[in-house]
Amino acid sequence: MRPSRTHWQTRLVNIALLLIVLVTMIPIATTALISFKREQDVVRKPPVILPCDTPEKPFDLRACRWSLEGYTRVLAPKPSATSPLGFKLTGNMLRIYLPNTLLYATLTASLVALLAGMSGYAFSRYRFPGHRALMTGILAITGVPLLTNLLALYQMAVSLRKAPLPWWDDRLFIIMVYIGFFLPLSVWIAKGFFDAIPRELEEAARIDGCSRLCALQRIIIPLSMPGMMTIFLLTFVNVWNEFIASYLLIAKNQHKSAMFGLYDFMGQNIINLQVIAAACILIASPVLILFLFTRRNFFKAMLEGAIRG
Amino acid sequence: MKTSFITQQHQEGPGNSKTMLPFWLILPTILVLLVVQVYPAIYTLWLSLHQREPRGWDYVQFKNFTRLFHSSQFSQSVGHTVVFLVGYTSITLVAGFVIALLLNRKVRLTGLYTTLLFIPWIIADIIAGMVFRLLVIPDYGLLAGILQNPSLFPPKGLSILTAPPPHPWFGHFPFPPAPAMLLLILASAWRALPFITLLLLAALQTIPPEIIESSRIDGANNRQTIRYILLPLILPTLVVALFSLTLGGMNGVGMIFSLTAGGPGTSTQVLSYLLYNIGWNQLRFGRAAALALLIAVVNWLLISGTLRLTRVDRRQD
Repeated sequence: MRPSRTHWQTRLVNIALLLIVLVTMIPIATTALISFKREQDVVRKPPVILPCDTPEKPFDLRACRWSLEGYTRVLAPKPSATSPLGFKLTGNMLRIYLPNTLLYATLTASLVALLAGMSGYAFSRYRFPGHRALMTGILAITGVPLLTNLLALYQMAVSLRKAPLPWWDDRLFIIMVYIGFFLPLSVWIAKGFFDAIPRELEEAARIDGCSRLCALQRIIIPLSMPGMMTIFLLTFVNVWNEFIASYLLIAKNQHKSAMFGLYDFMGQNIINLQVIAAACILIASPVLILFLFTRRNFFKAMLEGAIRG
Repeated sequence: MKTSFITQQHQEGPGNSKTMLPFWLILPTILVLLVVQVYPAIYTLWLSLHQREPRGWDYVQFKNFTRLFHSSQFSQSVGHTVVFLVGYTSITLVAGFVIALLLNRKVRLTGLYTTLLFIPWIIADIIAGMVFRLLVIPDYGLLAGILQNPSLFPPKGLSILTAPPPHPWFGHFPFPPAPAMLLLILASAWRALPFITLLLLAALQTIPPEIIESSRIDGANNRQTIRYILLPLILPTLVVALFSLTLGGMNGVGMIFSLTAGGPGTSTQVLSYLLYNIGWNQLRFGRAAALALLIAVVNWLLISGTLRLTRVDRRQD
């Protein structure tokens, strides 16, 4: 009797989990659905779930009217003689906003990983006056939300724009803000990663005649690479998804990030839901794909970060 | 902590060059943090004591604070924030705990379920807001046909996004919440759920199976095991989860931008959105800075609470 009972329990757990997953997926699935509809089907009253009804039958699989209209309106392909494919994608989203976001996210994440690696190593391997105070200070800064700093950062951005610095633009400022915002937690995570590398390995290398620099190069850097990768990924996704700072701190259209562009899209397409849905999917899919390939790193970093606050 | 003893023995090497190395390694981090975090924080403090006048900034002592506290939009937003946080944290914690318990059963496909469940966390809050908005947009949203059916739901033919809040039960306290607030709570919970589930699942997995076994042998049923064994053991993690949810809920503003924009009326204007509103719509930076400081203080209290808890946790093992 016991085994059959546990068997039933397992089956129930499976069904429950499957249902939960399906319910969680509803918002995403409907967005994908909307993004493939035509304008005529999107603006119908009352709304139809699947654009598959004909005057005769309520549902006919062969009569489904799927279209890429939403995507073509986001990407705006125009015929071009010079490009090898015969057309060029001229939409602002692909031409301006997504490359900007890619730039901000890549630069910020690399610099955060580098800086966090440097200071995490120092905090993990050295004891120096002010060690505790600095660590606590950095932790305290983790508690300052980006939102409350934005008033001052906005004023700074405005006055820097007026300053006579010809090479300065909002892109430098926003990258700096992102680095400063995502660095404190990353320093703590990096210190944890370095603490986990046994000192004995380093010392063994030193005894074998390796200099400190060589120990760093041969032992520490290879062993800490997965940790730094994790910090890079976490920061990359966070910057990619950040909206409010870029919305308030960026003035020019050619510097806007993808989330800012998406918000503009929402204002411009109040009724054309298929365009908004297509834009959402286009912007979310790169990080989603990145996540699916690197999910183990994410789970680890997230728990690490949560425990540290 | 384990390595600190060894560290002290080995690291105090001779020569000044060695002891200067950590300084150079940390210096860039400190500089960036000074410019982007410490200076703005001090600037915010300064802003909160000043008011914009046509000829420049005037020192007004604590007037920004008193005016903020006496404004009706502030007390209203506090009420909205309380309703939002209570709804959002309780839904997320309960659902997260249940899902974590289910995942802890280690059925086949647990890895697949975890991955799929985790997807909402990877989606930006502004996109999540838009995704939920697409469902209920007046007249055209996929659920509008059901939700705007006057015979099914009381807001007579009105969409969630435009229906006015019901008459409050407790004076000015915004309860029961507006339909838009319920949607905001639901959407926020949807996005925060994966994180909380994973946090609780990790805590559940640290519980040795022997403890569960022995409680079974003592005759405890499933419910009793959860109530008297699991729940007390993961209580610290639950509190950490509660604090981190509260932090996220207080500081998150992207979803409100794309989902309701504070509306209809002011029925989803929580404190974080009020900060944006006072600062960038009303252009009262002094008063907004006062509000920012208030939010920051609440943040600090929550973070130090979390830290104390996790530290107590570590001392035990």
